[in-house]
Amino acid sequence: MAKPVEIRNLTKTFRHPMKVWDKIEAVKDFSFSVETGEIVGFVGHNGAGKTTTIKMMMGFIAPTAGEISIFGEKAGNIEIKKKIGFLPERPYFYSELTSMELLKYFGRLSGMKGSSLIDKAEKVLRRVALYNDRNRKLSSYSKGMLQRIGIAQAIIHDPELVIMDEPMSGLDPIGRREVKEIIRSLKREGRSVIFSSHILSDIENLSDRVLIIENGVRKSFGTVREIVKPENIRFTIEFGGPDEMKDAAFSLFKGIRVATDRFVIDCPDLLDFNSKLATIVKKGYTVHDARGSYPSLEEIVFKGSSEVGHE
Amino acid sequence: MNRIFNVAYYTFLEMVRNKVLYILLFFAMFIFVLGIAITQMTIGDELNIISDIGLGTIEIFSTVLSIFLGISLVQKELSLKTLHPLLSRPLSRAEYILGKFTGMILMIVLEIVVMCAIFAALLFVYGGIGRFVTYIPAVYTIFLQTATVISVAVLCSTLTEPAVAAMLTISFYLIGATSYNLVYAITGRTSETVAKVITTLRYILPDFSHFNIKDNLVYGRGLEGLSIGFASFYALFIVVIVLSVSIIFFNTKEIN
Repeated sequence: MAKPVEIRNLTKTFRHPMKVWDKIEAVKDFSFSVETGEIVGFVGHNGAGKTTTIKMMMGFIAPTAGEISIFGEKAGNIEIKKKIGFLPERPYFYSELTSMELLKYFGRLSGMKGSSLIDKAEKVLRRVALYNDRNRKLSSYSKGMLQRIGIAQAIIHDPELVIMDEPMSGLDPIGRREVKEIIRSLKREGRSVIFSSHILSDIENLSDRVLIIENGVRKSFGTVREIVKPENIRFTIEFGGPDEMKDAAFSLFKGIRVATDRFVIDCPDLLDFNSKLATIVKKGYTVHDARGSYPSLEEIVFKGSSEVGHE
Repeated sequence: MNRIFNVAYYTFLEMVRNKVLYILLFFAMFIFVLGIAITQMTIGDELNIISDIGLGTIEIFSTVLSIFLGISLVQKELSLKTLHPLLSRPLSRAEYILGKFTGMILMIVLEIVVMCAIFAALLFVYGGIGRFVTYIPAVYTIFLQTATVISVAVLCSTLTEPAVAAMLTISFYLIGATSYNLVYAITGRTSETVAKVITTLRYILPDFSHFNIKDNLVYGRGLEGLSIGFASFYALFIVVIVLSVSIIFFNTKEIN
């Protein structure tokens, strides 16, 4: 069976808006795939190429080079769109329509009809907590409500693949939690989800795999544990001792910090960690804590990370 | 086909609820009333003057409405990004353009029906309701002319910003409305070569004289060689050509 998404050597070049002969490479030769029932998070700075990649997957813009296959068909294929749900970034809908009318409109375009469409629209509106506002015009909706109706229209036709561009944008903490729960429930139903976000904790919590894009280049792709490799683990020792030994502690190693009642020293690797730990014990200091911890995804994204060759 | 009608229906629904429409209709009614006031101050057949003003108002307001709403039809969806969730559905870009055009046509039909009802009421008040039936072909050709303007507005809306689209669509209307008289005014006063160029231009430029039968009907001159069939064919020809160009262009457009 064809994978929900398979992208090979994708490249997109735009003409420079000011200098006609110059070109901007928004996406540079990257590949990845999405498995059935998997959540993949896109992460990167503004202008990194996340939205451009999503637009190419939806067939809104054509790739300059490379291939995009959605369920084995070329991106933009009309029939395959029945299997896709899409939430654009900062969604805006027809202001003179009500949310119920909007869902009927989009449901009909996806081939739904009759009472099953109305039942489904009501069910989806309940799911995004907009049922009581279903007959209000969208012009009276808040940003968060528009985001939620955006999610509703993306899932009304039970798509097998849901693509969401910044689904948590503009939502309050409760709204964010609700959207996260919807994304998790889509996975439980066996659907694949691709979403982009600036909120790295959301990406870390929700994604089975993470795609880090930097300046249009795939920096990393894999599970959070694969991206945050063992060699990136930071080792820290916290120790202390009687007052007369405190001054001597600074001469033990370079880079010792003081944290309230103890000293803290970071170690670049396990070897260094073991060696320093032995020295501290040998000198008679008390070890309060000695641990190895993974850096957060945020630290990896901002620091840059090495390529994970996982497909 | 279903998808086209779906887009058309919701485009129509969105437009019908637009407050601008009601402001324009109110303004159109004001013009009607103003027309009646003018008839009190002029010498001549009151019914002819009311008919002139009535049909003229229907034509002008249909054109204004089609330009006003048509020029932003696609561009507004592009800038507000309402187009993205729509095109993420199993809907081709050609179906989208045809749906939008059909929605605008439905809107104009409604607007013409409302204005005709007001016009008929005026004729009834002045004891000339019987004339209304004879004016139906004129209303039909106004609709045909407006349909060509809508198709050009849709094309311009896929090509450029609303302000430029408005200028281009208004230019199309002005050329169409004046080309016949302009060509005949120039022919005979210029050299043979220029006359040939002008004659050729006549076939290229839009010519709304094919739709202009209202004066003939108001003053009882009959169709005088003008053909409703030809007018229908001519409008259909323009609409098909212009919409085909719109679809070709829109199919290659990058939806950012």
